[in-house]
Amino acid sequence: MLNIQKIRSKKQSIIALGSHIPILQSILDFDYLAGKEGPSVIAIIASGRKNVRLFWGEKDVLIPVYPTLAHLPASVKNEITLFLNLTSGRRVLSSTVELLDSLPNLLGGALFAENVPEKHSIEIFNKIKPGSRIKSGMTSGQFIVGPASVGLMIPGHLKLGAIAGTDAEQLMDSHVFEPGSVAVFSSSGGMTGELIRLVTTVQKRISFSLSFGGDRFPILTPVEAFLAAEHDPQTKHIVYFGELGGYDEYELVDLIKQKKVTKPIITYIGGTISAMFEKPPQFGHAKAMASRGEETAQAKTKALKSVGVKAAQSFEEFIDFVKKIKIKDNIPLPDGNPHVKRALRLLEGGLKNDLPYEGSTERSEGRDVQKVLSKMQQRTHALFMNSISQDKDGSVEIVGEEMLSMATKRSFGHIVGSMLLGRQLKSKDTAEFIELIMKLLVDHGPYVSGAINTMIAARAGKDLVSSLASGLLTIGPRFGGAINQAAQHWLEGVAESIDPDEYVERSAKQNKRISGIGHRKYRVDTPDPRVNVILTFAKKLNKSPYTLFAKSIEAVTTAKKANLILNVDGAIAAVLLDVLSQKEKISPEELQELINIEFFNALFVLSRSVGFTAHYLDQRRKDEGLFRLSPKEVGFAE
Amino acid sequence: MARVKLTEYKAKQLLYHALGKKYLGTPATPEGYQMPHNGPFVLKVDQGIKGRMKKGLVELEIQKDKLPDALMRLSKKGYSQFIIEPMVKHDPSQERYLSLERTREGIVVRYAKVGGIDIESMKDRVEEVILNSKFEYRNPKQAPNSNDQITQKISEELAVPINFMHQLLNFFERQYISFLEINPLVVKQNTSPLRGTPLRKRRIKSPLTRGVDFDVESKDGVFILDLAVEVDSTAEFFTKTWTSADIVEDSVKSPEELAIKKLNDQSQAALSFTLLNSEGLLWVLLSGGGASITIADEAYNMGFGKELANYGEYSGNPNDDETYEYTCNLIDSMMKSSRRRLMLIIGGGVANFTDIGKTFKGVIKALEKNKKRLKKKEIKIFVRRGGPNQKNGLKLMEKWLRENDMYGIVAGPELPLHEIMKLAINSSKKHA
Repeated sequence: MLNIQKIRSKKQSIIALGSHIPILQSILDFDYLAGKEGPSVIAIIASGRKNVRLFWGEKDVLIPVYPTLAHLPASVKNEITLFLNLTSGRRVLSSTVELLDSLPNLLGGALFAENVPEKHSIEIFNKIKPGSRIKSGMTSGQFIVGPASVGLMIPGHLKLGAIAGTDAEQLMDSHVFEPGSVAVFSSSGGMTGELIRLVTTVQKRISFSLSFGGDRFPILTPVEAFLAAEHDPQTKHIVYFGELGGYDEYELVDLIKQKKVTKPIITYIGGTISAMFEKPPQFGHAKAMASRGEETAQAKTKALKSVGVKAAQSFEEFIDFVKKIKIKDNIPLPDGNPHVKRALRLLEGGLKNDLPYEGSTERSEGRDVQKVLSKMQQRTHALFMNSISQDKDGSVEIVGEEMLSMATKRSFGHIVGSMLLGRQLKSKDTAEFIELIMKLLVDHGPYVSGAINTMIAARAGKDLVSSLASGLLTIGPRFGGAINQAAQHWLEGVAESIDPDEYVERSAKQNKRISGIGHRKYRVDTPDPRVNVILTFAKKLNKSPYTLFAKSIEAVTTAKKANLILNVDGAIAAVLLDVLSQKEKISPEELQELINIEFFNALFVLSRSVGFTAHYLDQRRKDEGLFRLSPKEVGFAE
Repeated sequence: MARVKLTEYKAKQLLYHALGKKYLGTPATPEGYQMPHNGPFVLKVDQGIKGRMKKGLVELEIQKDKLPDALMRLSKKGYSQFIIEPMVKHDPSQERYLSLERTREGIVVRYAKVGGIDIESMKDRVEEVILNSKFEYRNPKQAPNSNDQITQKISEELAVPINFMHQLLNFFERQYISFLEINPLVVKQNTSPLRGTPLRKRRIKSPLTRGVDFDVESKDGVFILDLAVEVDSTAEFFTKTWTSADIVEDSVKSPEELAIKKLNDQSQAALSFTLLNSEGLLWVLLSGGGASITIADEAYNMGFGKELANYGEYSGNPNDDETYEYTCNLIDSMMKSSRRRLMLIIGGGVANFTDIGKTFKGVIKALEKNKKRLKKKEIKIFVRRGGPNQKNGLKLMEKWLRENDMYGIVAGPELPLHEIMKLAINSSKKHA
């Protein structure tokens, strides 16, 4: 059930399903103008990108995008309290059910799509009905506004959807940053905006507002909204725009009779025009078709009047009722507002008194707001976003630290690790381990492919950068690029908690090598001394599941063949995974992300650049001339 | 976007299939039809009209050679879609009533041991029960649930096999039906309601049906004489058994209405247009479901309802090509009127996400294209709209209207919504 005070009492975090930029931007603009510390939208489910770039005030901000709900880190899942479903009508049922089944702290959400089958709306309605079981560990009782709804607005606190507009100026004009005491509801999204504007124009303010959507079976019913208004301590008055079709208003009549709704209500039920036609047209909304007498606007207005609701006969009377609401939201009328001046003249003198249209130019909030607004209207997106370095107060800052102080105080391992992760390292152990890797990988003899290519280029008379590049370009799946792939193996193995025998068997069946296992030279009886050094580091950690898994794989493979030992790549990958998860608190999802962007190979590339450069300089010093092979050394295959 | 009626032909084809029966009806148009068998036949108008019998839209017991004449008679009444079915003679005592309606609480079943054309006057004999919304079809072998007792009782009361009830409900769910009515439902044989098989299995050649293979049409003696089915138009994607072509066209549409319907079918946004009175004074180009009703209501409330020429609205942020096409069709419709000095009201509430600048760009382009015709008819245009980019859109509109001498008023949200209709009507009074 919708409980406004509960939503108001805490900070809310929204997940958006699908990305509708103008709507999401309007939520961030609302948050920014309401003086919040950060965006309320914390995650987006969409395909294609990892982030959506939006504005936070004048600046750019990245909102993380996940391909599916399953990709959400647990911490984000737990933080989410509200959803905004922007997917198409066809996908609303399946995606909403998935949301309800996977987010434990969900209070509710809103459905934006039109064309949701009524059968699906009813299914969702039944799923969240208090008392119905959703899934083990999940409770029901959420509220869902929609389908075909512009959402829910709690002034100064929450904007969940397109409600009250999608540009900053509109939000300003609708005064949705100043909480008040009038609740506003309508099936129609447009009329919700219109009513908010109407109430604020006559100098009242909104306590909360929502649009049910024009479908036949809105999931959040008018009854639920009226009860929420009744129970909301801030709401003193209710303004409702209804339409012909359906029986919702009769349920409201019953609630009033039973004294379950006691706050004063003003309504207008649109669709009196329908009486004109023997066979009325389908009006704008799906439910707006009066097939029976009780469903007409006139009948519903009469029924509401009979229980004391101020049910207006015309929109004019409706405006009049709203003007006369007696509550203390009264805010002095701004003088000289050309808007108001023109409206008054038109109403009094008709078209003779018309002034040209000027648009809104002044607001009650005063000059500061105007300044913020004009800045927001002039904002443009940056071409790139980065989290590594920036100019600040005349000097360079690297991952948040002034460069000179970093150079003098921090170890090289710390600087490299921080920069590669895009944030300061939390632990000295991580810095130490990264430094160790950097040292260990610096060179591994002149016989390896990358070093040879560097030397060949150097002897061909190429310059430093070209020779180094030819060495670096050799790095790939067979040379130097195995750390990343090994990390993938260990991450998968631990995530699946698979038996090592089975893992090896599976790889063998698929005819796949396990990266990080096997060496040309070293065997189980003559181990690689570097590996020992690396593995010793894991002993510093409380837990080292990745290292244990890698070693258990080695135990299986060496039983088959003595040289199938854990090699340097495999050992680095395993211990680095453990260090990052233990010391840097990086989640498995984030580790996967690091693998996807080749973080683990980056260390090899950086360190070995030293080796390649050394080989280049060395060859240049020796200057032996162009290298060439003889026919004996390159055979010819028939 | 709403509940729509399937043609009786399509509805029966689907239902008979679901019941495991063979349907012998055939569709017909004034141009022709395929003869199903020898007859006699029933010929009915198939355009979703209620109370056909009383309106004289059904012809009974027609022999094969008389069909063309009967078809001609009904066509002359202004109808274009028909259905031909074998005549099922029966006794009025064999008529039943059965309907299903989807509601939030579940499926409401209304049934009566009586049925036929006078059911409205026998309302008190209609029972109403509700199958809870967790209804799902199960085969009878599964453990009983709370709905079973109800369906059991209905099948006994109506003397139809329990299987018929299950298959009907299953059909209702799978086809995303919103409302289904069988009236009359004719039950001819003595059937065993519990097991769903007729007691007498031999083939019956009823003298009443004159050669129609009764067994093929209904093995269990249950006949669906008249069937009305409303489906949820949004479910077409999920059922794939019916398409928009199977939906009843309720009246003859003008070319402009058809063009806008086509535009709507191809668009992400919603665009609708209904011609109400082609000689009306007040033409509207409205946006938003609720705001469009409010503005139309104002005409009615001021006693000008009959002058409303059309109703329609666009919403969901159409692009400027779409508002251009929409406006062109609206103007074409207007230009067919014999009257001059028509009022065009371009109105809408404060939009949430529809871009006013962009949508108005299309509208202005259409006005510009039809400038000469509009001027000749001395059209005045009244505009009231708000929303994203409103300043830009309204400024452009004001400029165009003033330059072309069609300016009634251009206003933003500072003007109360309904006032735009009022200003147009008052202005027309002065004109006259």
